[in-house]
Amino acid sequence: MSRKLAETISTVMSGLMRPWGRSGLFRRRALWAYLFVSPAVIALLLFTIGPILFTFWVSVHHWNLIEPIPQMPFAGLDNYRYLLTKDSVFQRALRNTFVFTVCGVGINTVLGLLGALLLNTRIKVRVFWRTLFFLPIVTAPLALGMMWATLLNKNYGLINNILTKLSLPPQPFLSSPRQALACIIGIAVYQYVGYYIIIYLAGLQGIPQEYYDAAAVDGANAWQSFWHITLPLLRPVLLFIVVTNTIGALQVFDVVFAATTGLAGETSGGGPAGSTMVVMLHMYNTAFKFFRMGRATAMGVILFVIIFVITLIQLRLLQERR
Amino acid sequence: MARRRLSVPAMVSSTLKYLVLMAAGVWMLLPFFWMFSASLMTSQEVTRLPPPLLPAIPQWHNYIDVARVVPLVRSYFNSLLVTGLTVAGLLFTSSLCGFAFAKYDFPGRNVLFLLVLASMMIPFFVTLIPVFYIVKQLGWLNNYAGLILPGVVSAYGIFLMRQFILDIPDELIDAARIDGASEFRIYWQIILPLSGPALATLGSFNFISTWNSFLWPLLVVQSRELFTVPLALNSLRTYGMEAQFHHLQMAGTAVSVIPAMIVFIALQRYFVKGIALTGLKG
Repeated sequence: MSRKLAETISTVMSGLMRPWGRSGLFRRRALWAYLFVSPAVIALLLFTIGPILFTFWVSVHHWNLIEPIPQMPFAGLDNYRYLLTKDSVFQRALRNTFVFTVCGVGINTVLGLLGALLLNTRIKVRVFWRTLFFLPIVTAPLALGMMWATLLNKNYGLINNILTKLSLPPQPFLSSPRQALACIIGIAVYQYVGYYIIIYLAGLQGIPQEYYDAAAVDGANAWQSFWHITLPLLRPVLLFIVVTNTIGALQVFDVVFAATTGLAGETSGGGPAGSTMVVMLHMYNTAFKFFRMGRATAMGVILFVIIFVITLIQLRLLQERR
Repeated sequence: MARRRLSVPAMVSSTLKYLVLMAAGVWMLLPFFWMFSASLMTSQEVTRLPPPLLPAIPQWHNYIDVARVVPLVRSYFNSLLVTGLTVAGLLFTSSLCGFAFAKYDFPGRNVLFLLVLASMMIPFFVTLIPVFYIVKQLGWLNNYAGLILPGVVSAYGIFLMRQFILDIPDELIDAARIDGASEFRIYWQIILPLSGPALATLGSFNFISTWNSFLWPLLVVQSRELFTVPLALNSLRTYGMEAQFHHLQMAGTAVSVIPAMIVFIALQRYFVKGIALTGLKG
């Protein structure tokens, strides 16, 4: 799918040079076309292209959102320097975000594949199972965060009740600095596993049955045909899943907010003791609680660059082995 | 067709398969089960130790009580309005723009299209603060315009619609022109009806993400009259963190998840396609 995008970009680039006729009819239609693209293009300029340039610009200034823009004091790289050397909350948030992303994406990459392989066999009412795995994806992350926070409640939660019934020790879960991040990862795994399953399933169903038949004739066992047919042919799908979900996971906000703010007087969330602070939440607090827009936009830029680099590395790694 | 008799190992693996599926199914449904069950409990029941699995007598009035604590009815109305207008606006701008990119030749087309492709690579959070500032300067904070307008454009939507409309034969458009149809009428009466599947994909996908969106409304809305459903939920969450409010929290949550589920179940086919296509974003 990313190849398709690359092709489109290259045709567009070559089209830039094309000479261009001008009859009256042509010009009239061109006017219509301008009219048709203008709502979307104006909105894109206003809400995407303009803002990203503005983000880079604000990130080298000090700004509190109220001060007139021409009077923002220039900060150079101060915001970036502060974040990377002094802001321990940001460093903690960056580390937590990485752990969250690596664990969440890693677990679901494997779990999703297992689920898809299972659903790809002969199964009665496959649609039912598929819908089941999909329910969490269409549910608001905020709502899911709330459901799990109740389930994982230290005293009254159902999970601890089940643990007690199985004569296992009850756990503090979200109220323990050691377990909270793992709980958040667990909630994210729960929420997105269906997404992986759907995409893997689409990939699996694109592999021709003849390959497996031929392998079976040659005496390959199930494991061999999985290793030598399924896995190599799933590589583009794997690439797609890992890249898109890494990008998504690095921006996690809603679930952490729902499961950790307000608990035991924690107003800024990310608790207990900063153990679940993530970049987006820290950015939100910095911008809209403390009105340090320069620092907050600098965080955005850092995360953006990280996403960019990780995406490039992943594309390179996964394509090379072909 | 004659039923194939299963060998013993095949039967074992089949049983195992359904056991694993069943376990996964329980895992998937557990939060939803608990949500519905707890939403019908009394305050005493949710704080009993150990907590009961089901309420002794279903307390349906919880659903009315929760609407007294937070403006649930009003936020439902707001969410439907905001989501409906956002989706309609997004479908309109995307299909119109995609149509122009697919079927017209005009100076600067490729530059503009590159702009769209570039926008697809930009994550939402990088533009969050500037967009908030722009919306504030336009006087759209704490009103519907601020909730709706930043969402009515999607570079990905334009791209998707363009790809789809490219496949609509030019002959149809030429024939309509010979019959004297205006360019807008061609869009409205030929392109739009033929783009049904793409519109359903984009629309269902966008409905669910707008309905569930939390961070943006959290920034834009201050007054309770403008609360969307996730904001009402959040206020319910902060209203009672303690366990004795869990039944109300879960009743609110249960009410909030229904519309997205209806849209999903009705448009599942298109939604799944939309998920597979979001890869274009990366």
